[in-house]
Amino acid sequence: METEYILELQNVTKTFGQLVAVDDISFQLHTGEIHAILGENGAGKSTLMNLIYGLYQPTHGQIFISGQLKHLQSPRDAIANGLGMVHQHFMLVDNLTVAENIALYLSHFSTDKKNSQLIQSEVDHPLKFNEKESKISSNFVKWRFKMDEAIQLTETLSQKFDMTVDPHPRVGSLSVGLKQRVEILKALAVDARILILDEPTAVLSPQEVKNFFQILYTLQEDNRTVIFISHKMKEVLEISDRITVLRLGKKVYTGKTGDLSAQELVREMLGEELSDIHKKKSKVIDEPVLRISDLSVKGSQEEVAVNNVSMETYRGEIVGVAGVDGNGQKEFAESIMGLQPITAGTVQILGKHTTSTESIRRNGVAYVPEDRRTTGIIGTFSIADNLMLNISHFERVARHGIIAQNVKYTTAENMIKTYDIRPPNPNLSVSALSGGNQQKVVIARELSTDPELLVAVNPTRGLDISAAQFVHQALLQQRDNEKSVLLISTELEEVLQLSDRLFVMSRGNLIEATDYRDSIEAIGLLMMGERIPNEL
Amino acid sequence: MNYSSVIEGNSHIKNWPHLKNWVLMPLLILICAFLTNAIVIFFCGYNPIRTYIAALNVSFGSPSGIGETLVKSTPFLMTGLSVAIAFRCGIWNIGAEGQFLLGALAATWFGTKLAAYLPHTAWIGIPIGIGFSIVAGGMCGLISAVLKITRGVNEVISTIMLNYIAINLVSAMVDGGPLQEAAKTGSQSNPLYEWVKLPRLFEPHRIHPGIILAVILAVVLTYVLFRTTFGYRLRAVGEGPEAAQAAGISITRNTLYVFFLSGALAGLGGAIELMALAPHLTKNFSPGYGYTAIAVALLARLNPLATVASALLFGALTQGAFGMEAEVGISGKITWMMQAIILMFVVAATSLNYFQSKRSSES
Repeated sequence: METEYILELQNVTKTFGQLVAVDDISFQLHTGEIHAILGENGAGKSTLMNLIYGLYQPTHGQIFISGQLKHLQSPRDAIANGLGMVHQHFMLVDNLTVAENIALYLSHFSTDKKNSQLIQSEVDHPLKFNEKESKISSNFVKWRFKMDEAIQLTETLSQKFDMTVDPHPRVGSLSVGLKQRVEILKALAVDARILILDEPTAVLSPQEVKNFFQILYTLQEDNRTVIFISHKMKEVLEISDRITVLRLGKKVYTGKTGDLSAQELVREMLGEELSDIHKKKSKVIDEPVLRISDLSVKGSQEEVAVNNVSMETYRGEIVGVAGVDGNGQKEFAESIMGLQPITAGTVQILGKHTTSTESIRRNGVAYVPEDRRTTGIIGTFSIADNLMLNISHFERVARHGIIAQNVKYTTAENMIKTYDIRPPNPNLSVSALSGGNQQKVVIARELSTDPELLVAVNPTRGLDISAAQFVHQALLQQRDNEKSVLLISTELEEVLQLSDRLFVMSRGNLIEATDYRDSIEAIGLLMMGERIPNEL
Repeated sequence: MNYSSVIEGNSHIKNWPHLKNWVLMPLLILICAFLTNAIVIFFCGYNPIRTYIAALNVSFGSPSGIGETLVKSTPFLMTGLSVAIAFRCGIWNIGAEGQFLLGALAATWFGTKLAAYLPHTAWIGIPIGIGFSIVAGGMCGLISAVLKITRGVNEVISTIMLNYIAINLVSAMVDGGPLQEAAKTGSQSNPLYEWVKLPRLFEPHRIHPGIILAVILAVVLTYVLFRTTFGYRLRAVGEGPEAAQAAGISITRNTLYVFFLSGALAGLGGAIELMALAPHLTKNFSPGYGYTAIAVALLARLNPLATVASALLFGALTQGAFGMEAEVGISGKITWMMQAIILMFVVAATSLNYFQSKRSSES
């Protein structure tokens, strides 16, 4: 069967219980194109990629590769069919050398009969390895494991695709950009013809991005196809040939790059209509609760995660910080809580410079962390124990350091009732609860300290609608009680609905965007790290 | 929706793992270990059943046997508590052996030298001797704590290294060093002054107040861990360090507490053993209590109260070795093997639990 599509999805749907993650998506990939996929968090990008990569099987619909219907049962299947994926978090063994990593990957996948056929039989395929390369690869198939062959393969591929990767150093000693190239080499070593790159530029510096694009062009010249997932509009417009936009699990747009402007694409991504923005005017009191001046924080890779940020929050307001995941929000919140060392600048709470998390907590700051499972709760502790996991609770439940069991359980039962935590058994291990109920445990604990300032990061992530509304009401209640709330969320709608003042965080910079709150396009552009055109 | 059924269901679930974790699992571990050991005994040419009966007879068959079992359980209990507290709080202290020895060494220094300058009464000698051992063991733990906090040195490595330092320090002190006996013939210290020795409660048995102290400590530690904010902090830091930190609990401070507490318990164990039983400190004062303690604590699932039972088992095994040697003729070393086999099954059971919970969390 003749077809120009290397990959075709026909009416693919994926449901998880009630949730439709991917909704009837049809989509074609031309051979040798760079195809960008745009979409908000939760738009279904990852699910779609996992379907293509064989991690999930579609509930309905069909996937064709080079015109043939395929039922991919696992990534192994997908790889055997010429797919390769570069995950956002690298799947590399730091202690092995580059060549060893590639050999490991080959040994894992090349033992497949199918794959050895792929490598040996497709001599006439335009995407084939040259003969020398394919001989080396098939040697791995026969389990003849020779390190110098792995080294040679790495060198050949690195040269062919102009990647300048040395096979000898340990992967752990490489820069992020080089690690990414090793990931791409891994995929090329098993002759991947379609490469899925999940947010490949998120971890790269601007200079590295330039080099990375060069590699993409080389891959394209070799007639390989690239799926490029990104949040960054500018990069998408620069590199891609075609763009597909997803929103809420549906494909809303596919077209040639350049057909739509950045603003039009943002509108496609975010949708036009937003539900009612609450109009109840808040009474902001002119007394700063949190004052941040010139704050800079370094991230885990020593990169600048928060860049010279200044802001205040006042009593009686919710200050929202919107932004795409991984733009420094986590580090920002953690530095306010004293959990991250500050490189420069100051954080003051109620006029006092903060020191330890303990004193920050004692000054009346509550915290709903982004990562519920590691930072919000202790999985092995009971619900009751988790409900007192905040030193501000200790005085309430303990006299002279001895925990009064009856007080501990009555306060726990009260919180369980107020916040409708199910099942309502304080002795149950918290890990037995659903994610939504675990989040309720966190919210219940943090709000019941009657905090002056609440720092909440993605407080409704993973919650169903009614639970999310409950959390929203709780935040508004805090505001109406003349407390201060800092809401950091990747859910734009949530931030727009709740905030009295609005900021956007992008690449560690905090930009005030209250004036743009009625223009979703402007905020979208700010989130993408773009400037706002004058006409908006 | 009717939630009462869910609650009832949970109370069901709630009790079942307790029975499973605290009774059935240890029982299964012991049965497996005894069976495995029986095979070895059989191939050594002895009757396993007769061997076990002889061991049981010697450790529990008579008042003096029971007394000796209790006496031999005490160092296991003290070091076991030390390990249980540390592991429970996320600190992998493998250094109970060294801390045990340093505690004994400090008590020896006090009991053979300094005590002469103090009033010659047990009311002063014993508490101060014990105090010396607590400080010595605790400080030994703090060395690892400071290395971990300031330099990020893994405590497994630093505590093992400190074990060698402690073992050789004891050697150096009693073998030609300043603590060697006055006669300078054997590699051992002078006997402790009478007013630094723990009295015996029921002569002629060797039962001493240290046994009671150790059991009281086990109860107190259980209370502290599960009923005080101090213990809550320690457990929180151990089981969810990031969550504890976000809650405002200082990891640094609690790490210091745990290391000191763990070291002090082992050190105190060394002093009790010395002051109650040994006439003097020798080079081979500990037959590896601090290492066996890891098995003791793990078998007790790191619960201080359960450590009492677990230590009793190890004490009985040690005492039973004499019975095996005397009545059956098999080498007493077989009990050391037994202890190691128990440890292996404990580790196997732990990983079994781990994989089970992993599987259930995945599904």
